[in-house]
Amino acid sequence: MKVVTGVIGNDIHVVANRLMDLSLNARGYEVFNLGVNTYLEEFFDAAVETGAEILLISSLNGEAEGWGREVKLLKAKYKSLDNLTMMIGGNLTVGSGNAEDIVPRFKNYGFDLVCHQVDLNTGLDMLEEYMRENKHS
Amino acid sequence: MSQLQEERKIILGNENVDSFDFDEVQDFVKDANEQLFISHHFATKNKMLVQPRGGFPTYEKQFALYDFFVKANVDVLPLTIDSNTRLNDYATAKKMLRLSEANEMDMLNGYPLVNHGYRTTRKMMTHFNLPVSLRHGTPDARLLTEIAIASGIFEIEGGPITYLLPYSKNFPLDKAFLYWKYVERVCADYSTLNKPINRESFGPLTATLVPPAITIVIQLLEMLLSLEEGVKSFSVSFSQQGSMIQDIVTGKVTRALADHYAKQIGCEDAHIHLVYHQWMGAFPTNRDSADQLINMSTVIASMVGADKIITKTREEAVGIPTKEANAQTVANTQYTLNILGGLPAITDEQEEEILTAEVHAIMEAVFNDPADSLWRKVFNSIKNGIIDVPFSPHIINHNNMITIRDSNKNIRIIDRGNVPIPDHCFEYEKSCCDLNKDTTSIVNDIIHDIGIMQ
Repeated sequence: MKVVTGVIGNDIHVVANRLMDLSLNARGYEVFNLGVNTYLEEFFDAAVETGAEILLISSLNGEAEGWGREVKLLKAKYKSLDNLTMMIGGNLTVGSGNAEDIVPRFKNYGFDLVCHQVDLNTGLDMLEEYMRENKHS
Repeated sequence: MSQLQEERKIILGNENVDSFDFDEVQDFVKDANEQLFISHHFATKNKMLVQPRGGFPTYEKQFALYDFFVKANVDVLPLTIDSNTRLNDYATAKKMLRLSEANEMDMLNGYPLVNHGYRTTRKMMTHFNLPVSLRHGTPDARLLTEIAIASGIFEIEGGPITYLLPYSKNFPLDKAFLYWKYVERVCADYSTLNKPINRESFGPLTATLVPPAITIVIQLLEMLLSLEEGVKSFSVSFSQQGSMIQDIVTGKVTRALADHYAKQIGCEDAHIHLVYHQWMGAFPTNRDSADQLINMSTVIASMVGADKIITKTREEAVGIPTKEANAQTVANTQYTLNILGGLPAITDEQEEEILTAEVHAIMEAVFNDPADSLWRKVFNSIKNGIIDVPFSPHIINHNNMITIRDSNKNIRIIDRGNVPIPDHCFEYEKSCCDLNKDTTSIVNDIIHDIGIMQ
């Protein structure tokens, strides 16, 4: 299964991105890692170009909130992305916030899976389970 | 007029520079007090020089910071530059400087040197009459270097590799080499007038599980690129790695091979210094633990025999440190250095042999690249993964090398990617680690190994 991943916005936090790349590969995904400092358009362009089933966006510096609001609008401009599974994870807010508020908000922005301050492997387990359940839908 | 001089005129014709007077600056450097030159301190002081970090937007705050440092018995003052200037965005730096001055609130994370200009900044530098080190992270530091030297700042940190691979995703690496060539030449030219200008490479790189072989190779290459342009005083550096013996071995091998390769290009007259950075990775949030870590770094730097140590503060995990915390580290570090005595001369010969063989093998592969100049050979070697820096965000970096810690906290290479680590060295590195684990466990180990000091 193909996954496009990267860190959104002017965010240069590279460590988790590399570890995600390693872990996804170990779990058998074909990974297209756009790295740090990636804009929303670049993610969607890459998803089209690679024919990826999953888009996994990460954020550490809290920029995701600002970008999240543009997801639906931008995604609608792409014709072939209706079946793309959208996941976001990391630290999804500036300052402190709790998952009970953040998760529904990001689902509203158009993400199928939202992980706020969730351990890497727990998040990837969630993704695997989600893909198993929704594969034939 | 030489080509370099023509380029200098264009660079210094920048609209943010207030009429650069070449002759006046040349006379200033020629007659500058020797105390301003760190190269002079390296030559005459029989102690490890202590240098903190720090930069504030306004002249007054920077002056106040230096006052604190002097009271704490500092050896070398830092001038850390703001992030807009680092990206050559002088217009934004100017705006933020005005806002910082008007609101008494810091809108920049460093001193916007180009906007302050050399006439103003020089007053501060000559007032304190101590060596100052320029700390920045700028891929194109041509203008910044000119203004720094004209201000009386006679140590320039950085280099085309060490200021690019840890900091940037897609600034073109080939351009960085050419911009730094300019910096080296300007430093070399000024060095003929008085004491030499010192250049320093930034060894910590990403400060995230970078194996010593990669650190040393990059230090040596930046040194050679600098010396071949005529620089006569150069500092190689690295940061605390997590294992005392690995630091000691790294220091020994770095010194020995720096001399070896400098001699190979006929530059044995250049003075090479060794700089040690206190722990550059993730810091403990507990301030008392941070103090203990800093103190331990100082002890290891002494075991390594560094010529200069660059300090951290107890507030590292919290944000930009206050001048009080910064000065406290300087005082504490000086105290520790003063009371340390009777250090044993220890090493590990097997580790030294392995590391030396690794560095030689990578250097040889770089030199064997068919390009016609050293910078192109280095550029090609990074492009094809002969040099691979773990956790670099730059698109040119391969990111195929994987490292973890062994049970003694030494950083070990468990996947060499395209880096020509000799087979017997690679087998040794792997034999130090427990590799009978799945990737998920290894990723968890890596996460643990990065946060080792927290």
